[in-house]
Amino acid sequence: MTGPAIEARSVSKWFGDVVAVSDVSFEVQPGVTGLLGPNGAGKTTLLHVISGLARPSQGEAFMLGERVWNNPEVYRRVGFVSEHESAYGFYTGSQFVELSACLFGLPDPADAADRAIGYVAMEHAQSRKIDTYSRGMRQRIRLAAAIVHEPEVLLLDEPLNGTDPRQRVQFQELMRKMVEDEGRTVLISSHILEEVESVADRILLMVGGKLAAAGDFRAIRAKLDEQPYRVRIVASEPRRLAAALVRMDELDSISVDDDGALIALSRNVGVLQTAVPKSAAELGIRILRVEPLDESLESVFSYVVER
Amino acid sequence: MTHVFRLSLRQLLGRWRVTVILALSGLMIALTAIAAGQADLSEDAGVVVLIFDGLLIRALLPIVIMTLATAAFGNELEDRTLSYLTIKPVPRWRIALPKLLASLTVGGPVVILTGVIMTMIAFGLDAKPVAATAAALAVGVTAYAAIFTWAGLVTANALPFCLLYVFIWEALAGALLSGISYLSVRAYSLSVMHAIDDNSFSGVADGVIALPVAVGSAALVIAVFFALTVLRLRRMDTP
Repeated sequence: MTGPAIEARSVSKWFGDVVAVSDVSFEVQPGVTGLLGPNGAGKTTLLHVISGLARPSQGEAFMLGERVWNNPEVYRRVGFVSEHESAYGFYTGSQFVELSACLFGLPDPADAADRAIGYVAMEHAQSRKIDTYSRGMRQRIRLAAAIVHEPEVLLLDEPLNGTDPRQRVQFQELMRKMVEDEGRTVLISSHILEEVESVADRILLMVGGKLAAAGDFRAIRAKLDEQPYRVRIVASEPRRLAAALVRMDELDSISVDDDGALIALSRNVGVLQTAVPKSAAELGIRILRVEPLDESLESVFSYVVER
Repeated sequence: MTHVFRLSLRQLLGRWRVTVILALSGLMIALTAIAAGQADLSEDAGVVVLIFDGLLIRALLPIVIMTLATAAFGNELEDRTLSYLTIKPVPRWRIALPKLLASLTVGGPVVILTGVIMTMIAFGLDAKPVAATAAALAVGVTAYAAIFTWAGLVTANALPFCLLYVFIWEALAGALLSGISYLSVRAYSLSVMHAIDDNSFSGVADGVIALPVAVGSAALVIAVFFALTVLRLRRMDTP
């Protein structure tokens, strides 16, 4: 293959008056690429257009050099795991994966299903009905069904939803194996930066339906790290605590909001985490609550876009 | 294609759906038996119309097929599993056909067997009315299944849509405008029934059309709605 594995050319998708994806163009080469963005950024819609599940309102998507829309033959080389967790619950795991193998027209569906189930380490539960699976198990069996035909390109929409930390590590190992040992192209969407960080080399950053940034993960991550984090601190004597904290070099600013809570801005959250309880203890002030205000990452994404 | 067919059968054979269908069939048979106990149906054309047109063809036939065929795609759209089929290298007609066949496989025997039992209660073991009922229902089952399978794919409100078609278009408009017979599955079924046994079913003569026209129209309806289903599968966004 000489061209990109995945290509979007000026793709737009709208639903009535709502523009979900606006004029997005990019190319994805073999390796793991993260499709990042806050909820509602248009990631799922874009993945649906790329996978051929949705028709682009404008522009075109290509996979392995072929147009995707209305071209079922391209699916012989592509796997897709959707965001929602539904599956045929009345089937056992192995029946579900074997159905997928049959629909892909594989010569030995049972053998292919066994291999795929082994790949995601679900042998122990393959005879159980999917209705009895946990969320993480569902994700893995759905992944097995998507890779049963050993696709060259794999599209994963929020694949780590509902998985526990151990399953995340397993999943990340699986992705590395697929890419490093087998040279596949994997595009993973997520709204959580850290989920993608350990597996993706490159990222596509979506905000408000537009492609805000694309390229090397570390370069974009460095931009993200420059943004100060906001932390809200509820204390028994906020003004005295603010007077103590304001002398810290790591603190960009500190203010008191309408509810009397402190809002601290810092580029070094680690130092802030240590300094707040220490200062409070020295002054005999009680800390009632500490909460980050940027957990959704929405502001982080916006920050990158604004720059 | 057999994989999609088997999958669709599993989806359609849900406990509540089968229970409702069998209960409705049992009710129709019971009502026929009650009517047969009170009058000689072979002599009473009015009651025959009430049972075979009113209960069997206007009610049981469309309701059973509606329940099944709208769910063939409707369930997959609702629980978002349709993408497991559409994101496979499978021509769309090979998804639509097994879905249609699954509805026919589940609904056809129930409706036709119920009709045959009702006919035997009404007319005894005479083969002619039994054949007339079975053939009429076979035409109706297939035509309704084609229409309602398409409806289940194009709208999330397939059941209201189908009820409107059956009870407003076929029943109400059909009673007021004679031309509706050419665009009514009910009229096709009654026409087949009457053409095969005009003696037993003399009472359903109103609104029937010539047998070749009825069968040809039913075939056209089946072909058109099957083609529309395939076309819809090709052009729609899969949720």
